Amino acid sequence: MIKAKMKVMVGLLAVLLILPAAAFAGEPFVTTEWLQANLSKVTVLDVRKVEEYNAGHIPGAINVFYGVWGIKKGVLLNELPADDDLKDILSANGIEPTTTVVVVSKNETMPFRTDATRVAWTLRYAGVENVAVLSGGIEKWEAEKRALSKDAVKPKAKAYKGKFNKQYIANKATVMGALGKAVLADVRAPEFYKGEKKLDFVEKTGRIKGAVNLPPGALYNADGTYKNKAEIEAIAKPVVGADLNKEIIVYCDTGKVCTNWWLALYDLLGYKDVKVYDGSSMEWLADPSAPSEP
Amino acid sequence: MVKRPSDDLALCGECHQEIAANYKKSLHYTTIGQRNRVVKRMSAEETKVFDEKVFEKSCRSCHATCGDCHVKSPSIGGVSVGLIDKHKFVRKNEGKTCAFCHGGRVYPEYTGEYGGNADIHYQKGMMCMDCHTMDEMHGDGKAYAQKEEVRDRPRCTDCHEPGRETKLTARVAHLKHSQTASCFACHSAGEYRNCYGCHLGGGSEAKPGFFLGTSPRNRKEITTLRIIPTVRESFKPAGIQQANFDTLPNYWDAPIHNIRKRTDRTRNCDTCHEDRKGFLTMETLLKNSSRTNLELIHKPKPIPISK
Repeated sequence: MIKAKMKVMVGLLAVLLILPAAAFAGEPFVTTEWLQANLSKVTVLDVRKVEEYNAGHIPGAINVFYGVWGIKKGVLLNELPADDDLKDILSANGIEPTTTVVVVSKNETMPFRTDATRVAWTLRYAGVENVAVLSGGIEKWEAEKRALSKDAVKPKAKAYKGKFNKQYIANKATVMGALGKAVLADVRAPEFYKGEKKLDFVEKTGRIKGAVNLPPGALYNADGTYKNKAEIEAIAKPVVGADLNKEIIVYCDTGKVCTNWWLALYDLLGYKDVKVYDGSSMEWLADPSAPSEP
Repeated sequence: MVKRPSDDLALCGECHQEIAANYKKSLHYTTIGQRNRVVKRMSAEETKVFDEKVFEKSCRSCHATCGDCHVKSPSIGGVSVGLIDKHKFVRKNEGKTCAFCHGGRVYPEYTGEYGGNADIHYQKGMMCMDCHTMDEMHGDGKAYAQKEEVRDRPRCTDCHEPGRETKLTARVAHLKHSQTASCFACHSAGEYRNCYGCHLGGGSEAKPGFFLGTSPRNRKEITTLRIIPTVRESFKPAGIQQANFDTLPNYWDAPIHNIRKRTDRTRNCDTCHEDRKGFLTMETLLKNSSRTNLELIHKPKPIPISK
């Protein structure tokens, strides 16, 4: 009898111990409350500039600036570092495939907000299984008067041995082959999708032929936090469909902003084949042979 | 009200005696390094005019008072980006105390905000003063003519001792190039800011670029070169023709602060030895530029294949 009770107790304890990690799985956007409660169980990765991190960060957070994760390759911006460079970054920071990572950035503008989602996607690409971003960013943490530290954390290096998820990325040839088959989701504001506006570094206005529009701002509440799963699902389903097995390729101007919808579709809503087109409009619209509209 | 109270070094020197005494002779304060470099393009007569009409009235107007680094950004062309931290003196905050002046080229290259690749030292959380000493900021009490005379400047080998590389290929590559190429030649991530046509029509134009060639100060070494924006007409409004313009090249050896462990040059010998990517050529050389530039063109030889 006592043995049976002990077994139940041990079982309960095991459930309690694994609960935080389980609660984290499939929730790519975590709240400040959740992070506060789970601070000792996760690695907080602050991707702001070194000087911003030094001025005050979430206690225990490590710092690797966004510009290390999203680099310029040729003319293309926000590209992945080479796999060996990426492994070096992860190794130097002691991140393992099983490490639970919460990425923190500034939140005031879409480019800052998506610093975090792009790094989160990069970690997922590199094979880190549990990754989330902090909803509301560092500003929300600060506004709630939560603790900040000025002690720079020196991570303990450990050789990274994760398996890269090459299926999370699409190049121009992949997109070309997927035209008319996959859902191509243009993650830019409607006026860019419609071809009314373009950024200076994008060759021309327009979108990939046949693309649908998932505006990046649609994921957020007015205060810059992420909407809940039901709300996000209600936005996504009419645009990309309900078939979770359908191939979806998200893109934007450079391949950075669209990672917010990658996290939402793949990690939150459970779509099983979602890719980021890293070259995005910057590459596609500069190629006269790549079909575009209008 | 005193306009720039810390311009009077004696005032700061009441408490910071040694620093103020050193600083008075330092290159940051005198900016004499800039002057000494550019006057080599001028005749003795032109130098006199330059000192009176240009250097004192223009170049030296930007020289840094104590407050220009520790309180408020210096006013350049009448524009200041404001106070660092209200009206407090800030001892060290490199993103401001250094970047206020070095924020055009070096600092954004270091953070990756210009060029798109952050320096590996920034990646590891290192800031300016992790390599550069206080003596470099305030001077060491000697009046140098230009910064190259300063002996105790940071060197890569201060931390990265050759011969201790874990990879044999790296050790061999370093050994082979130790006398012929600077660290920057292979480890600069890529494009950095180059300014063109300074003073020509009132302003200069900045563009990203990457140039490899013979170092003008060490003719045995290949290194990264940055364009000097001085053109033949730069000082024409002051009546200076630069009689000896061709004495100096239009490129200086530049320690580009965008270092990466791996670059296209460290990954593949052919990048330099076959493709000669980034090396100055007759075709890429600045037009209407100094004839001395020709001496900077270097053509790497293909690596002989062992039989």
